Amino acid sequence: MASITTEEESKLLIVLPGDQLPESGLMEDSSAAHRLTLGPGLAPMDDDSITAVKAGILKHNAVGNRWWVESNQRRYVAAQGESIIGVVTGKSVEHYKVDIGASQPALLGVLAFEGATKRNKPNHNIGDLLYCRVSMANKDMEAELECMNPTTGKADGFGELKGGFVIKISLGLARRLLDPKNLVLRLLGQHIPFEMAVGTNGKVWVNSANAQHTILICNAIRNSEYLNSAECSAMVKSLVEKM
Amino acid sequence: MSRLDRTRTSAHQLRPFFSSQNLLNRADGSAQFDFGESSVMCSVVGPAEVKLRDEKLDRATIEVVVRPLVGLPGIKDKAREQALRETLEPLVLSGLHPRTGIQIVVQTMKDDGSILATAFNATILALLDAGIPLKSILGAVTCIVDAETNQILLDPTTQELANAKSTHTFVFDNKSSITSDSTQEDKEAVEVSTLYSDSTGLFSEEEYFECAQICYKAVQAVHGFIRTAVQKKLEKEQQQIHS
Repeated sequence: MASITTEEESKLLIVLPGDQLPESGLMEDSSAAHRLTLGPGLAPMDDDSITAVKAGILKHNAVGNRWWVESNQRRYVAAQGESIIGVVTGKSVEHYKVDIGASQPALLGVLAFEGATKRNKPNHNIGDLLYCRVSMANKDMEAELECMNPTTGKADGFGELKGGFVIKISLGLARRLLDPKNLVLRLLGQHIPFEMAVGTNGKVWVNSANAQHTILICNAIRNSEYLNSAECSAMVKSLVEKM
Repeated sequence: MSRLDRTRTSAHQLRPFFSSQNLLNRADGSAQFDFGESSVMCSVVGPAEVKLRDEKLDRATIEVVVRPLVGLPGIKDKAREQALRETLEPLVLSGLHPRTGIQIVVQTMKDDGSILATAFNATILALLDAGIPLKSILGAVTCIVDAETNQILLDPTTQELANAKSTHTFVFDNKSSITSDSTQEDKEAVEVSTLYSDSTGLFSEEEYFECAQICYKAVQAVHGFIRTAVQKKLEKEQQQIHS
């Protein structure tokens, strides 16, 4: 049903599973190479049509003629290269088992840390919180993690998160928090100094000078999901005033 | 003609729809769908870990649990579970999440007839909310043939169901919509897009196809409603970025 028109009638082009993308519209920008890159939420079907498989907003990038569907969900599905927050749930000679909120725990090699050698490696215990990067994700296998930048071998901010507090939010909100222009974080930053780590698996770690501030920040982030800009400023203002 | 429930004037009128998504805090996706005074809540967990004996190597295991309004699940609920599971299995792209489980729990909240159709619509909304990849969406409607007047009544209430000669529930996907008024093409569209049909009672072949035709037209309204519901939710999420 309802093939999508490529003319942008509204700002948001919303697709539902089963909506087909018109072939002509897909190719119009790629003048040089007739190539098409499909991202999450789109899949080729048996009848050679390209169909949305998730409900979300159809997005397009002319560079490389990329098409994808921006959708929101709460369950994480590991994807290579994403930064995530996980909890150590098990430990063996070669690997840590890390709960990242996906269908299976991920594996983190004990040597996948900056400067780790067989003799000298960091020791993490069950329950530790780690900020790491997905180094390999495959639907048929457990995801693999690492706590360093693979090109430089430096930690680059990855590693254990000490102190602070973790909340779980939707994956869509987590992605929006990573936007440097994010409103709620900018507003909070004007009142309270804090540090945070956002995992694309929907886990957010917040640390500040005292517990009241941390709780306030966590509540403000949770509340911001369905608010517009004006409501968001009012919400932060009222929370800060009550403190 | 006035219907038994007195709120509707036409035999082919549906009761007012209501839906709400993302209601439950701990499920990955949830939704409520109402047809008037019939209400069903559905929750989806997945793709999550699955018991080893239920694990399928090449696709996700779909488990459906139907909870009745009161008491313990009986034979009727088990039949509904099977109907839902067998309709959803080909619809969900389970190959994208092998060795995982998708659990769907359907709870009747208020029963005033057409519960199976309501359950189907609640389930698809919950699956969309959870971001489970789907081939298409579905819509379901129930109709009856009245024992006295032989008239086909859409979306019957409990009272109307008591006077039914036969009851028919149809589920259609959103891939093919009515493009012209010619009945020939209409018939083909009905056949192509039927995902599930359940009939009880005595009826002729003509009556059956007439019911299918009427339900098919009514389902287009359900599809439209689902699209609007999803659109509203997405617009709310995105308003900070686009304002």
